[in-house]
Amino acid sequence: MVEQLLSLSEITRSFGAINALKDVSFDVKPGEVMGLVGENGAGKSSLVKIIGGFDSGFSGQFTFAGKQARFSGPVMAERAGIAIAQQELSLIPTMSVAENVLLVGDNVPKIATKRQLRKLVKPFLLEVGLDYIDPATSVERLSVGERHLVEVARLIAHDPQLLILDEPTAALGETDSIRILEMVERLVKRGKSVIYVSHRLDEIFKICDRITILRDGRSVAVKKTQELSVSELVNLMLGRELENMFPKRISSSSKIPLLRVRNLWPDGLLEPVDIDIFPGEILGLAGQLGSGTGEILSAIAGAHSIRGGNLEMDGRVFMPKTPNDAINAKIAYCSEDRKHDGLFLGRPILENITSTALKRITNFGILQPPSEHMLANDIAKGFTIDNSRLLSDAGVLSGGNQQKVALGKWLAINPKVILVNEPTRGVDVGARAEIYQTLHKLAEQGTAIVVASTDLQEITNLPTRIIAFYRGLKVSELGYDEVSAENILTQITDPFGAAKLKR
Amino acid sequence: MSSASQPINQLPKPSILERLVQRHSKLAIALVVVFIIIFVYGMVTAPNFLTLFNLKTIIRDAALVGIMAIGLTFVTLSGNFFLLSMKETAALCIIAFATGMASGWGFELSFLFTMVFALLAGISQGALIGIGGNPIVVTLGAAGVLYGLGAYWSDNLVVSYRRPHGAEWLGTGSFLGLPNITVAFILIAISAELLLRKTSFGRQVYLIGANRAAGRATGHENFWMAIKVCTIASVCSAFVAIAFSAQVSSAQVNYFSSEFGSSGDMTIMVIATVMVGGNSIMGGFGSTLRSSFGAIFISTVDNMMVLHGFNSGPRVFAVGLMIVFSIIVFAILRRGSRSEE
Amino acid sequence: MTVEKIISFIKQKPDLMFAFMLAFFVYCIFAFTNDYFMTHRTSFAIMERFAVLGLVGLALTLCIIAGEIDLSIGSNAALAAVIVVRFTDSLGAPTALLIAVTVSTIIGLIQGYFIAYLRIRAIVLTVGTLMLLRGISLFVAEEKTVMLTDFRIPDFITTKVLWYFSPASLTVIAMFVLVALFMNFTKYGREIYAIGGARKEALAAGISLKRPMIIVFAISGFCAGLGGVIIGLRSGTAQALGLQYLLLAGTVAAFIGGVSILGGRGGVIGAVIGALTVNFLNTGLVFNVTPAFMVQLYLGILLLVVIMFQTGSVIFEKRQRRYQILKDIDDRRERLKKEMTGGAQP
Repeated sequence: MVEQLLSLSEITRSFGAINALKDVSFDVKPGEVMGLVGENGAGKSSLVKIIGGFDSGFSGQFTFAGKQARFSGPVMAERAGIAIAQQELSLIPTMSVAENVLLVGDNVPKIATKRQLRKLVKPFLLEVGLDYIDPATSVERLSVGERHLVEVARLIAHDPQLLILDEPTAALGETDSIRILEMVERLVKRGKSVIYVSHRLDEIFKICDRITILRDGRSVAVKKTQELSVSELVNLMLGRELENMFPKRISSSSKIPLLRVRNLWPDGLLEPVDIDIFPGEILGLAGQLGSGTGEILSAIAGAHSIRGGNLEMDGRVFMPKTPNDAINAKIAYCSEDRKHDGLFLGRPILENITSTALKRITNFGILQPPSEHMLANDIAKGFTIDNSRLLSDAGVLSGGNQQKVALGKWLAINPKVILVNEPTRGVDVGARAEIYQTLHKLAEQGTAIVVASTDLQEITNLPTRIIAFYRGLKVSELGYDEVSAENILTQITDPFGAAKLKR
Repeated sequence: MSSASQPINQLPKPSILERLVQRHSKLAIALVVVFIIIFVYGMVTAPNFLTLFNLKTIIRDAALVGIMAIGLTFVTLSGNFFLLSMKETAALCIIAFATGMASGWGFELSFLFTMVFALLAGISQGALIGIGGNPIVVTLGAAGVLYGLGAYWSDNLVVSYRRPHGAEWLGTGSFLGLPNITVAFILIAISAELLLRKTSFGRQVYLIGANRAAGRATGHENFWMAIKVCTIASVCSAFVAIAFSAQVSSAQVNYFSSEFGSSGDMTIMVIATVMVGGNSIMGGFGSTLRSSFGAIFISTVDNMMVLHGFNSGPRVFAVGLMIVFSIIVFAILRRGSRSEE
Repeated sequence: MTVEKIISFIKQKPDLMFAFMLAFFVYCIFAFTNDYFMTHRTSFAIMERFAVLGLVGLALTLCIIAGEIDLSIGSNAALAAVIVVRFTDSLGAPTALLIAVTVSTIIGLIQGYFIAYLRIRAIVLTVGTLMLLRGISLFVAEEKTVMLTDFRIPDFITTKVLWYFSPASLTVIAMFVLVALFMNFTKYGREIYAIGGARKEALAAGISLKRPMIIVFAISGFCAGLGGVIIGLRSGTAQALGLQYLLLAGTVAAFIGGVSILGGRGGVIGAVIGALTVNFLNTGLVFNVTPAFMVQLYLGILLLVVIMFQTGSVIFEKRQRRYQILKDIDDRRERLKKEMTGGAQP
């Protein structure tokens, strides 16, 4: 009879009208690796935040190491023995590995020479497999994978009982991912427990003892890995009902590509790619983080460095070097991070919508408010944005409406090609349906649309056909009839059949 | 999981007062109220405050700093922080103008001559900032260079020119009972505001200031914007230099340095004016109208203190206090209103 | 063996090497163009000037490392100078000195507090405090230039000790050593590097903003106070609106010494070299009877040159990193190709 190290039951967490978690139960035994899987928006981050002490506003039972727990902050959780490695790194690039590992915390020496720090740090580096690195190296010289490992080393230095890894290999290559997996095995041998949150089902099957599946804020199942197959897992994750939000998939009618991408080699891809983009269809680029799909889109739009390549459109051969070039060629690009470069927060929605096409609403340099309002109203109608709020600050909108504005503003240039990365990240279900409808309408009107997404449902049900990528390599093309969740999933997680379903 | 398709964050529309109190921190409101009380008290008890002459004096005293502040506002709104070289640009330009006048070139030619220098100063600083140089450091260095050039040119001596010299109308003339410099201030303030609100250039200023990355993604690069706004600021500095020189029929490089006005240091006064008006240092929010009011506001407080008989020490202190105060209040306000995201 | 060590040290710290060479270069220019430059008396004068400039350079170096800047440092120093000169006659030099330095340090503390608690950028706040402090100085000095009546004190301050040093410069050297130990060997010093090098990440990692910020600005205030006191006692006079040149000179010294405007880089040794370089320049120019405004011109040009060099090396490093990333990708491709012989590939 093994006692639970961590036990959560009837956990409910709401933010206003949104239920992030509903009656979730979750437990972890000592010395086990528990996988946590679920689609975007299923509640994984909310759950992880609660366990890690970032969120104390939940209801339900939370027991850790035999004691009731409701941490007022991550520092308290760390003291109790829980550590989280987040997706965003919190390393200081200008400082050395040793200084980063022993930066903060109760057991960090107050006075120490750099040499002492380097000595103290060695066992932790060994633990995460970085023993070959000189602790005096400054972090900015390390690869992304090595940086992630340094971050984990920092957490290990506080000797946690439970380590939560949130998408640890999302940005990593093959070798680094293997290092992480080996590290997890070492930790578990010493009696620690690990919660492994990931989309990479091949890794989940490789190292997890049990898997908890979340869907729509509920814990749908907890199974032993050995008792589960990939398709069963996918079914549990996706469910059936939500397919209704997608309009029926279009099949393209045109045989002539609108835009030919030839020999494009963005940084991040292992080899150059050729892609044909047809008008009237939605082309899907499927691949997980680090597969290169996002890089391709931003490269086409002139926003990413490339080693070579060009585009052919309307008989012209060219390669955008700046976003302006792409805009002039009627290519619109909407990145995956609207807060970073998709929206002008602090300015009215009206200005956001017309920001791409100032030339259309000015005469000799002077703004023409009637034209501006007309243009904005048209776009707002097309995207189901509320007209009466055009003058409000873009910052007060909900995620879904913000995304509509971020996407919608590109209609002002009458684009021939629309490239979107993660069209519905952080968007509620209702707005998602509206965005899908609009994309469909645009495609039917003859625009060529390319969507890159890590959301399995979205990439299965929205596009006409798929090109799948895996870790920087194009691995396959799936035509209209070959598109299915399983096919796609296999291609983007394990195209070479490397994962065996045993430990 | 909710299936609602209604946007969640739609605020109901309460009255303006309710919205103010709802959204902004209590502390900020308390500070502002205390300030208003002190201000009104000072206004009411100052001798001769509410006379027409005094009010005209307030605006006239605000004019020179105000015009420079309007120019600097463009830089701030576009997200390029501020220039620490305003007074040095003015120093170089005042020498240029006075040299022209002393050589007998007449007003128009000297004016154009001076503007050439303003353009050069603006374009070069704008280009350095546009390719990624930090505005503070670049303009700090440029300040030393500009001042040195001006001093070298004039051998650090006073350059003067005899009356009548053709520039009196700007320096000491008046129009409809207002000094011409005040008229210039008002005209510049109005045209700057129109430029910001009604032109695509103005719109670009706000967009790039609000989010430089989004600006680049939508085809608006900061490189050209930095050059343009730095040039506007330099031209305004040059204008002020010319106006001041016309008043005193002379020029020396240190006219705008510590000894200028009771509060000293033109650059700091100009920056203070932009901030006290409530423009966001990060850009994307504010207006030249705010800076104009900031100039008038500071001038009013200074004027009140003079009427009450304070020396320069307390007056400088009061300006400093106003700057710090407005910074703190705006910091609290913005934190209070942004925490919704 | 030692040659290897020296070479690897140079490779690791190119900024310091650049600063060192610049200092050497500047010194040589003046040494060769002016007969009096390399004399004993000159070196003493340099060390004297170095005392104050070194302090200000150190203070600004720390602020810039922390990702901020203290524009009010000149006014703070002027206030200290005014206080010490004003009150020496009535309270005696040691007490006046103590009061002045304490006031400046507390001012720094308060600024650090506001910056940390209200999350205001230092550059914005110090524009205001710059004015505020001037007002206070004017008030304390009663709007005029204050002067000492007893001139034995300046003589004491400038007595020669150990050929090149005086009590003032020895105090400053002690200060440098203390701060260097603090920054390099304590957790709190590393926190300062962290909040400057990567503010968001440092906060995410759990470092509180308050402690390092208050420490940095308290030190800055202390240095300003000490510097102002030295200048005041040495010359016997003080002006409320003076010492504004310290900001430019100190900033140039800090940047020559290797700080980056992005924060997180630099150190005490760099500050020393930077301050010495600016000093060589200053003293050398004065020897060549260059007027003060020309010195400003040269300092301005020097600052722009250093900034352009820094920007250039940032661009260079970015390019290096890109080559490294591309090389990694090429390696990965080769490895994958080898693995795929035998695997299914559509």
